[in-house]
Amino acid sequence: MASATDSRYGQKESSDQNFDYMFKILIIGNSSVGKTSFLFRYADDSFTPAFVSTVGIDFKVKTIYRNDKRIKLQIWDTAGQERYRTITTAYYRGAMGFILMYDITNEESFNAVQDWSTQIKTYSWDNAQVLLVGNKCDMEDERVVSSEKGRQLAEHLGFEFFEASAKDNINVKQTFERLVDIICEKMSESLDTADPAVTGAKQGPQLTDQQAPPHQDCAC
Amino acid sequence: MACEFNLNFLKQQEREAVLEVLYRDQMVRETEEKRIRKLKLQLQQLRWKGRSCARCQKLLGLLMNRGAVCNGCSHRVCSECRVCLNPCLWKCTVCYAHGDVKVKAGEWFFEERAKKYPGEVIMEILKQQIFCDFSLLASISHLQELGQSKSFNKSMENLFLSLTTHIKKISKSQNDMADRCLLSTDHGQNLERRKQRRSQSDTAINITSRVSVIITQSLAVRGSLYSLNSTCTESGNFGKANVMGEIEFAMRYIFKACILEICIKRCKNLAYGEEKKCNPYVKVYLLPDKSPRSKRKTTVKKRTVDPEFDETLKYKIEYSQLGSRQLQISVWHAGALKYRVFLGEVVIPLAAWDFQEDSMQLFSWYQLKPKVILRRKDQGVPSCQLQVVITGAKNLPVLRAAGMPNPFVIGCLILPDQPEVKQKSPVWKKEACPQWNHLFVFDGVTPAQLQQSCLHLTVWDQSTSSSSDQFLGGTTLVLGSVLTYVLVRKLALKAEKVLRSPLLTE
Repeated sequence: MASATDSRYGQKESSDQNFDYMFKILIIGNSSVGKTSFLFRYADDSFTPAFVSTVGIDFKVKTIYRNDKRIKLQIWDTAGQERYRTITTAYYRGAMGFILMYDITNEESFNAVQDWSTQIKTYSWDNAQVLLVGNKCDMEDERVVSSEKGRQLAEHLGFEFFEASAKDNINVKQTFERLVDIICEKMSESLDTADPAVTGAKQGPQLTDQQAPPHQDCAC
Repeated sequence: MACEFNLNFLKQQEREAVLEVLYRDQMVRETEEKRIRKLKLQLQQLRWKGRSCARCQKLLGLLMNRGAVCNGCSHRVCSECRVCLNPCLWKCTVCYAHGDVKVKAGEWFFEERAKKYPGEVIMEILKQQIFCDFSLLASISHLQELGQSKSFNKSMENLFLSLTTHIKKISKSQNDMADRCLLSTDHGQNLERRKQRRSQSDTAINITSRVSVIITQSLAVRGSLYSLNSTCTESGNFGKANVMGEIEFAMRYIFKACILEICIKRCKNLAYGEEKKCNPYVKVYLLPDKSPRSKRKTTVKKRTVDPEFDETLKYKIEYSQLGSRQLQISVWHAGALKYRVFLGEVVIPLAAWDFQEDSMQLFSWYQLKPKVILRRKDQGVPSCQLQVVITGAKNLPVLRAAGMPNPFVIGCLILPDQPEVKQKSPVWKKEACPQWNHLFVFDGVTPAQLQQSCLHLTVWDQSTSSSSDQFLGGTTLVLGSVLTYVLVRKLALKAEKVLRSPLLTE
């Protein structure tokens, strides 16, 4: 079993120990808002318009280079459907950061953001970093949730906000990188109190130097 | 919350999909653990370097190079052993590395999170169980494909794969379509329900073995880890455990006397074994030996989560043996009436331990870890045995001009670190297609051992005269892979082939 599975899932990526940090990120949001597409775009740079509902959970591993550090991301893609909720929520507590996604062409998915946010508060650790992402911003014609509305809600919830498109590859990379950055910041902060030397002094400045200003709008 | 992690509501296909993901996750975790272990080992080695400079051991001068006290560890270090973080802040190399490990290992996150979820362990345990299910599922589907599916009366999710192994006979082969040996695996609900299954195979060496994996319905996840006796505590039968805290100990090897000494100093921040009660003691094994001979225990300290033991446990053991051993130090709560609760453990592979280095003898703190339970023993069955039924062989080569061979089978079980065990079947006189129907029983084989063992089956021709027996062919069954992968394997062994390559490995 082991050997067969390893080769199938690219052992190289997952067994590579050559990295500095490992972050676990969870993508949540209503069914069909594009979580899986978002992940596939980021991890594989691929996109399929066909809708395949995720069964429970899935993840991909991607190693990136950020702030002079190799960071291995284990990005969990969750099923939006209610029936898998018990499985997906079990993974909240393992996640350092969240991408909470809605579909700008689907009002209902936007209205559910508040609930998702409550779920995060309930199941994850207290300092979980969350980004609110309005996906499918390429479909401007069908837009029902304005950027402004999204931004206001994000502000209200205390999240950073992006509009993105997995299809047209807009703001996908930026979203993940921003999330990684804020997790790094959190990490530095948490070490500051216990151990100011290691990251506080050394990493803090680097992080702020390279911080991308939060993208508020998508390009389209 | 953990108890909600129940896959009952999923369809079989969905379960498989989820379990596959979990399996991949497990691989990722293992890699991560390896990396973290490496980081920590490096830190430890750095720490062992002593504390008198406190880092490079260089003598500090009275006027020149007097050293300065590190903010982190309050040790005096020379200027070369400092890492400057900014003009007015520095740390000694050890404190720096310590922080570095914390960042890299993600501990900052776990520490923060632990404030909210002290009982993280449960997830891990559940996941282990699900893995077991996974291997079962994999095999079921396989068997179904072969049209040989067995009925599983219970939903898989609630079943724990527990003690695993019993190889049972099956095969009454009647057709001669192909020359091959089919080694298949199968599962029974429990020992009693084992049934015989007919194999359609036919072989040069016609051996069909069945591995019955015994599944016991779990008693679900209980409030704590029980230990009624040592066998039980070793069986890994536990549910929810709040593993936390640390243990301080030192270890050294006295070369002259061949004695390994483990000095258990104390523990701190232990979890409560029962509600607001904790009577901790420490138990040590030199794995893989889990017999009482390998067990050492400290006294039980009453009503404390920060016990001071200051006890030295000793093993008389050859130095050369240490490399293959792992030191398992577990902490237990002794409740009333032999009620035991697992509080955490540390496992140290001694191969990586440098006993010649004095600094390695210093006391050090170790984080207690939950038990890893991948394979567990069945509590009901104190000893396990491997049974192999040798049904028969076909078309054995005729070597002697005199005519038919007098074939017999030798089964040789090779276990790690143990002498091989040989068994011999009766001899059939003048028979090229003997039907021995002989049962080999290998006693006292634990599932863990079986994982690393293999079984050589060889067919011999007993000589009629004084000359030695003639080798007719053989095959090797890697039992570990059988159990681990739980896959149906086929061995294609033609008689001619067997002869050319005496030991065919699958």
